[in-house]
Amino acid sequence: MHMADALISPAAAGMMYACSGLAAAYSIKKVRLETDPKKVPVMGVMGAFVFAAQMINFTIPGTGSSGHLCGGMLLTALLGPYAAFLTMIGVLLIQCLLFADGGLLALGANIWNMAFYGCFLGYFLIWRPIISQKAGRRRIICASILGAVITLQIGAFSVTLETLASGITDLPFSIFAGTMQPIHLAIGFVEGLITAAVLVFVYESRPEILMDVTAEETGGRLTFKHTLVSLCIIALLIGGGLSLFASSHPDGLEWSIERITGSAELDADASVPYETAGSLQETTSLLPDYAFRESDSSFGTSLSGIIGSLAVLGICIGACYLFKFFRHPQKKEAK
Amino acid sequence: MSHIHICLEHVNYNYDTSCPVLKNITFTAHEHDAVGLIGANGAGKSTLLKLLVGLNLNYEGSIRIEDIPVERNTLPVIREKIGYVFQDSDSQLFLSTVKEDIAFAPRNYGLSEDEVNHRVEHALASIHIEHLRDRQIYKLSGGEKKMVSIATILSMIPDIILMDEPSIALDPKNRRRLIHILNQFEHLKIIASHDLDMILETCSRVILLSDGEIIRDGNTMDILSDKELLEAHGLELPLCMQDVDNLIHVMYPRQHS
Amino acid sequence: MSKLDHALSEIHHMDTLANRDQWLNRIHPLVKLIVTVSYITVTVSFHKYSLAGLLRMGVYPAALFILGDLSFTDALKRLKIVLPLVCFIGLFNPFFDRLPVTNLGMFTVTAGMISMVTLMLKGIFSVLAAYLLIASTSIEKICCALRIIRVPPILVTQILLTYRYISLLLEEAGRITDAYSLRAPKQKGVHFKIWGSLAGQLLLRSMDRSEAVYQSMALRGYRGEFYYGRNAAFRKKDAAYLLVWSCLFAALKLV
Repeated sequence: MHMADALISPAAAGMMYACSGLAAAYSIKKVRLETDPKKVPVMGVMGAFVFAAQMINFTIPGTGSSGHLCGGMLLTALLGPYAAFLTMIGVLLIQCLLFADGGLLALGANIWNMAFYGCFLGYFLIWRPIISQKAGRRRIICASILGAVITLQIGAFSVTLETLASGITDLPFSIFAGTMQPIHLAIGFVEGLITAAVLVFVYESRPEILMDVTAEETGGRLTFKHTLVSLCIIALLIGGGLSLFASSHPDGLEWSIERITGSAELDADASVPYETAGSLQETTSLLPDYAFRESDSSFGTSLSGIIGSLAVLGICIGACYLFKFFRHPQKKEAK
Repeated sequence: MSHIHICLEHVNYNYDTSCPVLKNITFTAHEHDAVGLIGANGAGKSTLLKLLVGLNLNYEGSIRIEDIPVERNTLPVIREKIGYVFQDSDSQLFLSTVKEDIAFAPRNYGLSEDEVNHRVEHALASIHIEHLRDRQIYKLSGGEKKMVSIATILSMIPDIILMDEPSIALDPKNRRRLIHILNQFEHLKIIASHDLDMILETCSRVILLSDGEIIRDGNTMDILSDKELLEAHGLELPLCMQDVDNLIHVMYPRQHS
Repeated sequence: MSKLDHALSEIHHMDTLANRDQWLNRIHPLVKLIVTVSYITVTVSFHKYSLAGLLRMGVYPAALFILGDLSFTDALKRLKIVLPLVCFIGLFNPFFDRLPVTNLGMFTVTAGMISMVTLMLKGIFSVLAAYLLIASTSIEKICCALRIIRVPPILVTQILLTYRYISLLLEEAGRITDAYSLRAPKQKGVHFKIWGSLAGQLLLRSMDRSEAVYQSMALRGYRGEFYYGRNAAFRKKDAAYLLVWSCLFAALKLV
């Protein structure tokens, strides 16, 4: 779900940086107000924990594939939304730099899509309302799964919107969203289950480190296994319902593909967000472009331009090697 | 008479109300003392060290460091006087490079950057690890990490050094180096360990803890050569003395069996 | 477990590269950060059909890979994370956008094909640029650059701490999963019954470690604020580096 630099326009990237930056500034203010000097070391080490735990393969029963932990939801349950958000920024920055997971330019968007929704929505919309009334195994499992599914759905939807707003792809909104959402429904469900398992373990061994868990209570009567089974059934029902809806609805996935293969003049009715965002992109991009598809001549010139560019690139590479070749003997002499 | 640096009177401490961890601890330690704190696992050695720096505060009795009682509001003053070397160097060293970590304490004390650098160089030089200055912490070996841990507290220029199991996980060569360094310090030092051979070489005085109580407090040689006493409290004679002990057994079998 | 090991070796590898004594490594981190971000910004701001202009942007990675003595194949390996999504999105362009542009013999090149290639090139160039940054600049130096641009110390410290403990916790997670798989040799991953306890143990241990880290800080005078030393000074070389690349990027964009 990490956005790549290529999928976002500078304008959209800047916009997302601004949003994430505001959220970060607010979080820093909030964390400072807590005046708990322990918070920063805990955030640092827990960031490393999320990093390491996301590398562990958890086998999904009956599938042979494996899933990973939902970092945002886990951190928000342990540290609260503000500290969790800052921690996720660190994790995402390091992932982006060391593992090329997401890009530098898209970092603002990635922070927003994963950390903001995971931490803030996950906490205020899901964790706190569910847990603060009465903590228990069942509630923790529900909160984790709901949290992971919902925040991942919104995150995936944001990826779709940001990519379309950047005018990067000709993919219509319906097909893009239609692919992104179901994939992330499954991922979110698995991530939620793993996160739930970890949080339940923490709840049973050291409940005081969870947010909003106050009184010591015994767990719900449902065992983990029962809950797992019932949630699986719910997910299947939802999934089945969704796919039925998708196939019957005229805007569904298959219909879109039919249209793609049937006609080439599709762009005219590309969805609204793309058009408006596309024009936004044109006006705000660093320098307005002049090579537009309507003018055939621009392509004519650009073919020769491409050859010219390749030549420039070749000359440059050659020059670099020459420079290196002549520099090395100098160095040796100097030594 | 040298100055009294640490003074504990009738100190009791429990994590929760049920079982006391430390019972009626009373002792004093003077400038230049080298005290070995020995005892089996769970005897309360680490807990006692942590009390001295105020990491655990709700104790009963009186703990005074250089005549200042250990209380919440005196902690900044007290912690400036005491350097504490953790058992786990990876928890102690949390910054990225050796230099940054050694500079952490002086910077927190608001010293100028020149003074900070001076302290870093001095700490590195005093244990001969100048070559590690710009290294990254996670790339250091276990022995190097321990040396750097010591350097991070030397940069505080403390009056008192506390060490929790300093020789654990060190290979023989590094252990030897550590002993050499410890013997160089003129500070008051308290070393908690069950490496009795190291205690024998570094400390002139030993406090034997068992189940949270001081069983014996006295001269190192007297305590560490008392086989019955040590074995009664879950310890064994230092290895070098075991050899002597075995030799005595061989030479005078009747008297000692 | 391979994924953990892979992550560890990747961290160590990048770290070794970043700590080499090379001219590129010695350039001020903030300058490199600015150059990298502006390069990526200019690159992705090219219009989706301006393939020619975009190709010229290859000058920057080409020059740095050669002059900085960095392995191009190493960098290409990193593409495998980002490229699938970019390709997935890019591959649809030829289907939607079938306006013929030119003919290469029998083959008709459509606008969609061009936009697909530019999208992929953008993806490749931006990953290469990020690689060039991190292969010549350690995380600590990048944090130093962040401090100069006034990113709050709380965030910078948190990033540094996370980075410091990543390799430690990866090793610990590796030991746990190794110990697990030695006793469950037939399983590929971690069985769902112990999802919670396996990761949970690691979590509680990490919590304990953070407590110890806090104690270590508190005993050395930490009271909630972080102080860092002087930042590396800018030199004429750094200014020249910045000037050369920014002029070149501007020129490449305008031509």
